[in-house]
Amino acid sequence: MRESTIMKIHYGTALAAVALVAVHILMRLTQGFADSLEYESVLANYKFIPYAIMLELILILLAVHGFNGLRVILIELKQGRIYEKAVSYGCLAAMIGLIAYGSRTIIMTNMGLV
Amino acid sequence: MPQDEHKEGVGGMINPTRYGIERVAYLLMRLSGLGLLAYFVAHIYETSNILRGQVGWNEFLELTQTTEGHIFLAIVIAMCVFHTVNGIRVMLGHGGVGVGKPARPDYPYDPASQNYRHKIGIYSSIVLAAVATMYGLAVMFGE
Repeated sequence: MRESTIMKIHYGTALAAVALVAVHILMRLTQGFADSLEYESVLANYKFIPYAIMLELILILLAVHGFNGLRVILIELKQGRIYEKAVSYGCLAAMIGLIAYGSRTIIMTNMGLV
Repeated sequence: MPQDEHKEGVGGMINPTRYGIERVAYLLMRLSGLGLLAYFVAHIYETSNILRGQVGWNEFLELTQTTEGHIFLAIVIAMCVFHTVNGIRVMLGHGGVGVGKPARPDYPYDPASQNYRHKIGIYSSIVLAAVATMYGLAVMFGE
């Protein structure tokens, strides 16, 4: 993929994540910070399907943005064909792994498998 | 002496004192990005404790809902706000907003893009990060 396309994705994921993370944080503040972290409250959040979809979107957006940012930093530090490929595929694998792990939490909790 | 021997490597690249507030912003942007990625991975692991049931969740909350945990979270808020506001400045700059008009380079060769608009953007992101951190601390320690 062209670097210009990757940077458009990087900026797009950043802007979308800012909006969704703002909603995620406001949910903590409207309920009271400590109360919102109570087990029942968190469980209710996960079981509310629109909120679970929002968490999944945040997970994907931040994983894509975060690991692409890490890839950019690592390629700024050192260059080379093999190194750049290793960094790119390594970051892609880590991103997929994190999305899979986070999705497992969201799906299992939403389906009541706790 | 070959030119390579003058290279300062990563130390030269991250030296914040040489190139003004823009280099400080560059460094802070990367440090806050790495910090936020580390926090994000930890947060995904932290929230997965809900699958251990109420006891597992409460055990993990006891670890994080402490004074040290709140201070750590305040640092995360600072990194998040700085990274967001400065990121928007960088995006606008890449889009050509606030970088000035192209002009003939004359001595002392001040880059048109490193102007007062972007300096204000950088200082604003630092101030907003500090304000958000104070608010976050008030919320966390106020309860």
